[in-house]
Amino acid sequence: MKNGPLFFFGLFVALTLSWAGTVLLSNHQLGALTPFYDENESASFPLRQPGVAARGQLVYADLGCASCHTQQVRRPDFGSDLARGWGERQSVARDYIFQARVQLGTSRVGPDLTNLGARKPAYDAEDLMKFLYTGMIPGTKVVTHPPCTYLFDERAIVGETSKLALNLTGGFTPAAGCQIVPTEGAQSLVAFLLSLNNTYDYPESRPMPVEKAKPEAAKK
Amino acid sequence: MTTVQTNASHEVTAIDTAARWPLLLLIHASIKWLVLSGVLALIGSIQLVQPVFLSTCAIFAHGRIVAMQESIFIYGWAANAGLALALWILGRLGGSPLRAMNWVVVGTLAWNVALVLGLIGIATGDATSIAFLQLPRYVQLLMVVAYGAIAVPGVLAWAGRRTEGTFAAQWYAVAALFLFPWLFSAAQLMLLWSPVRGTLQAVAGGWFSQGIWTLWLAPLALAPAYYIVPKVTGRALPSYEFAPHSFWCLLVVGGFTGGRHLVGGPVPAWIASLAIVSCVLLLFHYFVVFMNLRGGLGRGSTASRLVAVGLLAYVLGGLVDAITAFRGVAAITQFTFVEVAQQQLALYAGFTLILLGAIYFAVPRLLGRGWFSANLVIGHAAIAFTGVALLVVSLLGAGWVQGHDLLDAKISFADIAIHTRPWLLAATAAQGILLLGNLLLLVNFLETACAGCCASATPTENPFREPSTMEATAS
Repeated sequence: MKNGPLFFFGLFVALTLSWAGTVLLSNHQLGALTPFYDENESASFPLRQPGVAARGQLVYADLGCASCHTQQVRRPDFGSDLARGWGERQSVARDYIFQARVQLGTSRVGPDLTNLGARKPAYDAEDLMKFLYTGMIPGTKVVTHPPCTYLFDERAIVGETSKLALNLTGGFTPAAGCQIVPTEGAQSLVAFLLSLNNTYDYPESRPMPVEKAKPEAAKK
Repeated sequence: MTTVQTNASHEVTAIDTAARWPLLLLIHASIKWLVLSGVLALIGSIQLVQPVFLSTCAIFAHGRIVAMQESIFIYGWAANAGLALALWILGRLGGSPLRAMNWVVVGTLAWNVALVLGLIGIATGDATSIAFLQLPRYVQLLMVVAYGAIAVPGVLAWAGRRTEGTFAAQWYAVAALFLFPWLFSAAQLMLLWSPVRGTLQAVAGGWFSQGIWTLWLAPLALAPAYYIVPKVTGRALPSYEFAPHSFWCLLVVGGFTGGRHLVGGPVPAWIASLAIVSCVLLLFHYFVVFMNLRGGLGRGSTASRLVAVGLLAYVLGGLVDAITAFRGVAAITQFTFVEVAQQQLALYAGFTLILLGAIYFAVPRLLGRGWFSANLVIGHAAIAFTGVALLVVSLLGAGWVQGHDLLDAKISFADIAIHTRPWLLAATAAQGILLLGNLLLLVNFLETACAGCCASATPTENPFREPSTMEATAS
């Protein structure tokens, strides 16, 4: 450590090694990942995000949704991801190649959202809007999500009621002559959430752990 | 590392007086950020048990609160305090007064202005949603430049050191000074200016956020720890010959723990495997740190007790990190509050307690006068120990319950929220306790600095004090 330049060089090498070992190597493996062309369907997957969904992803990032929600279905032997109906297969790197800012997330205070657009029964935009406004899952009375009322405008009804206005009941009914209308942010966010739909089965998303599956099957 | 100074007249030297006000400026900023980060942590914690709390205002959206709290904690508290102590140590061990301290003042102002602008950016909708890199990209360039300015005296002190050998405290301080700008700018390039493709962003983000811990924050905490413990015990460090190996182990292996949180995710499995192996190899580093600094446990002043508990938490944090990295354990603990608990164990109980102890140690020596109130110091330490223990234990409990509930697909998220609620209430209480403690520090610091400010106008008849009166001793 007495040799200053050598010490400095050591520091640089330490950082570069780990960068090369994790980022550069994985870039070598995944950086050139292309969409998968399916000849039977004459289409390539994943599909590109519609523009409004790409804008919605920015709203998702700005509000920090990733602090409570993940966007990844883990491998079949990991947790209850598949059993909870978050997807029919594990997420693979190819699912994300068109996303400008990938937010896999690190916390599951709330459910995973990877395939929100493919849930059964399906959510529609109206349901999600109401959920964001009230914080209550449709059909329940408990607030489980912070109500994002700032994504909505309360406006006076001039002429006809807006087509987008929320049809709210109970304690949330707006005052007479008023309506609750989603802002552009809310519309893009919901469009993004509904665009999350990675159901196409890539060749690499199917490698079930064969050796592992056999003894389990034998037990059953 | 046997630079034990028993002579009181060596306790406050020209090295300290030259660096006094610039370093106190850094420490001052750091303490205010620590308090603000505590306020936000409390709000965020309340929101977890009461989702309606402050949720109608976009600025207080939970995600934004988390992003702001994290940024303030790392770039406000940790950076300012860590840099102040690293510079102080480099000056003292370098053997001559720090030069170019004007750069520190300019850099500190620029860094904190950039941080304020960045926080306004997050509050108004420019958060990046990348862990530890939440600040919008338009302030990050300024932050790199400001960091460089603050680091100048440290680099000069290292390059112009008068001592023959070097000390572990110096290695860690210099490593932190150099590694952060590289790490930070590489991450900005890969994630914000010219983002890499798809899930590579998660890999690069993981490399950055783990790097911030192992290559920057951990060295920033170990530098004062390696400086203070031998000073307090008055003995050479045991097993010191292993310290260089431990140092290089942290830097070389630490960077490879980046895939730590990607277990089971949509990235090649080798990335996670590499990270798991690295987390285990890193135990060597933690073990050597424990062997070196175990002498600091259980003796000395309040300041050194804070450092000692911090070190214990630092080592424990590494151990928990290694255990929860394993796939079998991660299957339960991944994405739960256990990971938050591990982070708090390392960042709060480890890093913050060491730095708080170091601040309690350094400020009297910088100012040449003792703390305004010894009772406030003792009170803060007691509150901090209670709060940290409660926080980590309650988050571990919440995570354990949450992890097991998540495994059972029949348990809904509403039920999980009900099951974790008591634990999260305890964590909220802990955040309140910690905030209270840090307020005590703020009051004490302001009083001490003001007294020092007024007194320094007239030369004191005896600027040198016995070391024992410098610290608020509780024993």
